[in-house]
Amino acid sequence: MFLARIEGTVVATAKHPTLDGCRFLIARRLEADGTAAVEPNVVMDWMGAAHGETVLISTDGDIARLKLGNNTPARMVVVGLVDAVQQSAQVGSAA
Amino acid sequence: MVRGHLTLTPAVESYHGRTLAIVEPVTMENLRAGNGRGGGKALIAVDELGAATGQMVAFTEGREASNPFWPTPVPVDAYLALIVDMADVKP
Repeated sequence: MFLARIEGTVVATAKHPTLDGCRFLIARRLEADGTAAVEPNVVMDWMGAAHGETVLISTDGDIARLKLGNNTPARMVVVGLVDAVQQSAQVGSAA
Repeated sequence: MVRGHLTLTPAVESYHGRTLAIVEPVTMENLRAGNGRGGGKALIAVDELGAATGQMVAFTEGREASNPFWPTPVPVDAYLALIVDMADVKP
């Protein structure tokens, strides 16, 4: 799992049939020093994450398989919205 | 971004009749610029959506890439899940 910042949304008409009606967001993985990854990820969201929000992403597709069936290719899912991150002052804050 | 397609002859049986796309991940900088460039390291993904060269897509990597073929075990590690109509990345 990793922290990511929501930076956009994706609209897709043509998709795997198990993904119909799902919400897709553009998320950038955050490192411990707060920098964001160069390449963004498309993630699925059922929690209503907002633009600019820091979220926890799970890269295990099991939660998507439970919701969408065993045939779904969904993998990255928003599993929580981050309130606060506490870590050593030496490496800064990821939130 | 879909950069092209490839065909295999011969191929293992689970790839017979499948379309394989060459995809290049898009960096946030290129996505924001909307310049049609990728910038990431290209890889090969199974395409069942019929994505055309130059279209933006989203793909799954890892174990989940073979889920669409479940319960048949297939040697697939990347799968095109979406053809992107619009990516809204306003700052």
